[in-house]
Amino acid sequence: MTSPNITSTDSMRHVVIPVAAVLAVLGIALSSSGYVVTLIGFAAIYGVFCTGLNFFMGYTGQASFGQNAFAALGGYGSAILTANYYWDPVLALLVSMVLSGVIAAAVGYPTLRLRGHYLAMATFALGLITYEISIEWNSLTQGYMGLSGIPPLGIGKYELVSEKHQLVVLTLVMLVGVWVSVRLRDSRFGRALRAIAGSEAAANALGINVARYKLAAFVVAAVYASVAGSLFAHFVGFISPEVFGASMVILSFTMLYLGGVGTTWGPIIGALIVSLLPEVLRGLKEMQDVVYSVVLIAILIFAPRGLSGLSVLFPRKQTGQTKQAEKNA
Amino acid sequence: MIDLTQILQSLVNGVGVGLIYGLVGIGFCVIYNASGIVNFAQGVFVMLGGMVCHTLLTRLGVPLVVAAILSVPVVAGIGMIIEICVVRPMWNRGAALFAIILATIATQIMIERITILTLGDQPRTFGEFTAGGPLKIANIAISYQLFWILGCGALMVLLLFLFFTKTKAGRALRACSQNREAAALLGIPVHHMLLLSFALSAGLGAVAGILVTPTQYTAFNVGTPFGVNGFIAAIIGGFGSAGGALAGGVLLGVAQAAAIVVFGAGFKNVAALSMLLVVLLMFPQGIFSAFKSGGKGH
Repeated sequence: MTSPNITSTDSMRHVVIPVAAVLAVLGIALSSSGYVVTLIGFAAIYGVFCTGLNFFMGYTGQASFGQNAFAALGGYGSAILTANYYWDPVLALLVSMVLSGVIAAAVGYPTLRLRGHYLAMATFALGLITYEISIEWNSLTQGYMGLSGIPPLGIGKYELVSEKHQLVVLTLVMLVGVWVSVRLRDSRFGRALRAIAGSEAAANALGINVARYKLAAFVVAAVYASVAGSLFAHFVGFISPEVFGASMVILSFTMLYLGGVGTTWGPIIGALIVSLLPEVLRGLKEMQDVVYSVVLIAILIFAPRGLSGLSVLFPRKQTGQTKQAEKNA
Repeated sequence: MIDLTQILQSLVNGVGVGLIYGLVGIGFCVIYNASGIVNFAQGVFVMLGGMVCHTLLTRLGVPLVVAAILSVPVVAGIGMIIEICVVRPMWNRGAALFAIILATIATQIMIERITILTLGDQPRTFGEFTAGGPLKIANIAISYQLFWILGCGALMVLLLFLFFTKTKAGRALRACSQNREAAALLGIPVHHMLLLSFALSAGLGAVAGILVTPTQYTAFNVGTPFGVNGFIAAIIGGFGSAGGALAGGVLLGVAQAAAIVVFGAGFKNVAALSMLLVVLLMFPQGIFSAFKSGGKGH
């Protein structure tokens, strides 16, 4: 872990350039056809999801293989409240967020006491059981059929009917999400989390309540996942259990590891690249999940730090110290 | 009102499927003991066992016995490929625990998708090993397949016991589980042991899959439930102990069967997962640890 130095060149590199890049991608998307707009929209949604996941995995050093549970919660919450009860989408999104946070706190309290593979299996089971419930609870979720007729995002009478308008909102939500995660990371709370990632025992000795901070990070990640689920429901207008199944876990981890775990913009870059893959690999329609799995395994083996680990390839001014630090990291 | 026959019947069914969970659980333990790795793709071996056996039966038309016997080495080979292509490179690079777990989950999804693409997504089954039955004892039906499961399960445990106590390779595996570095210093090829443990564990999963398919069905997606339930069985038994995993599996199978009778079929997995959480939180060393005096420390 390298500690962030706040200097003007750093803020240039960490804020201005990435935001400009995001806006450039948005601009390209807005001036191109519908399909690209959809793909970039998915990228933004997954960007939100992965930013949350990154918070829990990258900064806190924990692992959850069941974040899809909270995306499903958000997605189904928004879908049911808006399509069946005609709630305002924004209100439905906020209520789903709160619901996911509360459930994450209740489920996480016992679960996060576990470590290692026990934690991994418990969180994995969380995703499985949510998937199962979304299939079995027919009267609410319509099982495999899925829910359709979900209205697009909007406030009151103003609905974002066009996909391009929605994309602008999705991008803004994503940028706000990244901003919030950065603010949280650099706060007292975030420093405590990074201390836990470094060493739980040491963090404990410093007076950090490890269990409580872990739970808080888990709730934050769940809220992000829930927002992503809600956005997905409104963007596509249809959800089914498969959307939030185990392949979502693989997809999101591929994005996270490709971009680089524990970096600010890594999840966004990963989400963008992986979302554009189907366009590049059109011939591989049925092989998609296989390709994602292979890519993920390859990254895990050969470049566990993701693309950000390859940043040494890009020429940029470096002091000897930072080079040394990167070598040591 | 639930009558006695129904309860006993569900107990019998529970023992059958529980033994399968136990075999999967032992598979988890074998790899874990050799390497400290938990292979989340364990369930995939159960699926492959059933699918490969079915494919050999229908496409090549070989008799069931031959198909069953041929499937086990095929699946064991797939297990070895996973070890060589996925686990070993990460192991050599000293990858984080979570990264290895994630890689095995990715492997599972990959194999499931490949199975859909090559063999199709339709559920399938094949006949019981012995025709006829079920055996009726006072209205309780016991299918002959249950005896096959019992017999083969016992045989597997016996063979494993002999393997771990009598053969050189088995004893080397046990040495690895106690202290890998010391084992390496004594000249045990630890890497080969990891490969061996994957083959063994995949073979066990395949046997479980072949045994269980006649009683239900197999499809590309049966791996995950078997994997999760096998893991729960292993945890109930105290991770690492083969006998404990088998007993834990039976306990889990019976509890699931009871939950189906009392609450309905939809609650099968809820029962299993609640059991997982209860055991994890209250008996992290497994529920049989209380009966052991000292117990071997891990």
